[in-house]
Amino acid sequence: MMITTETTKTPAATDSATSTRLWLRRLTALAPIWTLLALGVFFSLTSDSFLRPINLNNILSQIATLAIFGTGMTYVLLTGEIDLSIAANAALSGMMAAHLSTNLNLPEPIALSVGLGVPTLLGLINGIASTRFRIPTFMTTLAMSLIAGGLNTFVSKGRVISELPEFAKFLGSGRIQVPILGEVRVLIIVAVISLLIGYLILRYTRFGRYIYMTGASKSAARLAGVNTDMILIAVLTICGFTAGLAGIVSMGRLGSAQPDAVPSFLIDTIGAVVLGGTALTGGRGGIPQTLIGLLIYGTLRNGLDNISSIDVYLKEFITGLVLLAALVVNIIFSGRAPRDKTA
Amino acid sequence: MNNTPIIQLSGITKRFGTLIALNHVDFDLREGEVHALVGENGAGKSTLMRLLAGIYRNDEGEYRLDGKPIVLKTPSEALQRGIGMIHQELSVMPELSVAENMFLGRQLTTRFGAIDWQRMNQIAHQQLTQIGFSDMDVHQPLGRYSLGSQQVVEVLRAILSGARVLIMDEPTSALSPNEVERLMQLIQTLRAGNRSIIYISHFLEEVMRVADRITVLRDGHKVDTLNKTETSVNQLVSLIVGHEVNAVLPPTNAHTERAHTLLAVKHLSADVFDDISFEVGKGEVIGIYGAVGAGHFDLARALFGMYRFDTGTIHVESEQFPHRFFSRYAIKHGLAYATESRRKSLLMEEPIYRNITLPHLFRIGKLIPRQKQELSTALPPIAAVHVNPPDPMNKIGNLSGGNQQKVAIARWLPFPPKVFIVSEPTRGMDVGAKSEVLTLLRDFRDQGYGVVVVSSEPETVLAVSDQIIVMSHGKIVARMANKNLDKDALMRLI
Repeated sequence: MMITTETTKTPAATDSATSTRLWLRRLTALAPIWTLLALGVFFSLTSDSFLRPINLNNILSQIATLAIFGTGMTYVLLTGEIDLSIAANAALSGMMAAHLSTNLNLPEPIALSVGLGVPTLLGLINGIASTRFRIPTFMTTLAMSLIAGGLNTFVSKGRVISELPEFAKFLGSGRIQVPILGEVRVLIIVAVISLLIGYLILRYTRFGRYIYMTGASKSAARLAGVNTDMILIAVLTICGFTAGLAGIVSMGRLGSAQPDAVPSFLIDTIGAVVLGGTALTGGRGGIPQTLIGLLIYGTLRNGLDNISSIDVYLKEFITGLVLLAALVVNIIFSGRAPRDKTA
Repeated sequence: MNNTPIIQLSGITKRFGTLIALNHVDFDLREGEVHALVGENGAGKSTLMRLLAGIYRNDEGEYRLDGKPIVLKTPSEALQRGIGMIHQELSVMPELSVAENMFLGRQLTTRFGAIDWQRMNQIAHQQLTQIGFSDMDVHQPLGRYSLGSQQVVEVLRAILSGARVLIMDEPTSALSPNEVERLMQLIQTLRAGNRSIIYISHFLEEVMRVADRITVLRDGHKVDTLNKTETSVNQLVSLIVGHEVNAVLPPTNAHTERAHTLLAVKHLSADVFDDISFEVGKGEVIGIYGAVGAGHFDLARALFGMYRFDTGTIHVESEQFPHRFFSRYAIKHGLAYATESRRKSLLMEEPIYRNITLPHLFRIGKLIPRQKQELSTALPPIAAVHVNPPDPMNKIGNLSGGNQQKVAIARWLPFPPKVFIVSEPTRGMDVGAKSEVLTLLRDFRDQGYGVVVVSSEPETVLAVSDQIIVMSHGKIVARMANKNLDKDALMRLI
């Protein structure tokens, strides 16, 4: 007996109820912003150096690489999938570009194109393997991170390359004059462009809409004629590309191509994106959320460095604790705390 | 044998909000008896069964077990008191062995706390042999066995955990004829072992074979409890249906000749349906009726490229569909589909207008959907079917079931398809919403669309169809014009 009665409320009661609910929702939707503000206020009170322009600029450069990674990762998480190969892909991308231009003396544009092309291709393979054979992306991308790492070892023979393509150095550590703002680091500009393009595509194009639909309900999307497999392949390819770009930028920033991936890139990226409010289950979130998540993450990391009284050896531990607390607060405030319905 | 019934319900009433699902129902179950519960969808069978199994609690009336009044708070409490339930959807673990499944949650252990495999396997084998299933290897993963055998294991699990009373919900709906036969035998064996069984089924022939007594429910009331020997399928059907006029709408004036064939399905076969052929003409409604598990819902999915078929062809007008195609192909070639689950076909968190433009994004505008354009696409269908409230920005999850269904059907109108395929269009709706949706489908028919209504509710099919096809266990068992037909006729066929 599954008949539901359709009750009609009186208009007045509905109005006041909806407006209260609307306000509540507006407040809770902003939960990550409250977290960011709270962290900002806390660190500006406890540390003298935190609010200085130099330090704020520092935070931005620290999260710039993550922002490029995060653009692609947001796409993948929105479909409800995951990409664990980004850190290895990024390292491979930098190494390929450096190897081709330095060791093989190929022209820089070719070296950089190959450097970007290889991780993009690996992303495409991630997508095809996952959809064609129905392997969870968790596994395909895990395997891909080994493949990319292995290729990197093979190409580099375990050696660091410290002579880099000029353009990579420019992207990673160059500065340019921007009207009004003055001198700005190029990598921040790259990050902003990456986030902006990511935002525009997600927000305004049909493709962007399909990504949200695929994540929200695969069956509904398929019913509406969306080829959800193609969407999945596309987002994993995009994520491969942004990983490659982040790899080149980060190489330019560090001044050398490394034979090993930086494992923290992966954790930090997923952490920041989810912290912003993009759901791991897909369908909810977006680039603005990712931006907030990145800022929270950057503030937290940097803020702890600015409090001199904290034991250096405790920082990692505290970061973890605050991160967990921030996640819990986010989830409680956005009303997404799962309720056990089995009882 | 003891004369007090094991279970005695008297004056049981259960309400959901303003809806009365059970209205002063009496029911009793004796030791070593198979007591069948029959009635239409929505008559209150499931509610009564869930109440017996401790999933729901009654608002009024008394539940006596072995003559003593009890209140069951949870299903596990019911099981502790010896009442086990076999759900329609089995709750076995296909990856675990047959024996493990039988002892799920209560594994036997040795003195040292390790799992006692030897004893478990031995007892499992013994139990299976006792009821004539000695051919099952208790070491094998249960998933290797057919659905029928899995069901047997689930029954044994309930018995091993001490169930004296077994509640079986539509146990044969997904079984092959051979497996049905074996289940019938198993029930006889259990009865001989003095277990009591409450048997719920749509299939009246089966009920007549297996039950000792039969209770008929209609609209939340108990109609009667009959001894098998005193009744017949015909009598049961008339009791189930009742004598009042049931049609929500007046019968349709069936079109006799097919003017122009829009959809032609020939010899379509897959694992759950077999050799299905039918045609849908311009301005014609074809109703496909079958019990849950008859394969008709998957047939509808197959027409839309969402369920893989093995052989056969689908033509829309002169166009033959390829063997494998994607839903967008079906959309482009003039099919529209609303599934039996609105939750799976609509994005509940999104506004109405986006749900309407969802299947058309690839053909409205260019790469970038513009809200203005989307709204102008979405407004006509909202107005055409009187969605209430008609605000296109409203989240579709806020609408009532009937209004959601109207959106799910009407969203295909901006690019008019040739044939609407609608699965279970009126599930879970009140009478008013039902008749609105059915009127909508008939309007489409009158405007020259072809309509296929797939349903397990006989009144829905009867209310709108020109032609009716009846499916049972994956095969078409009857096809006829909707003239002078009533629910009895349809229900007798499955």
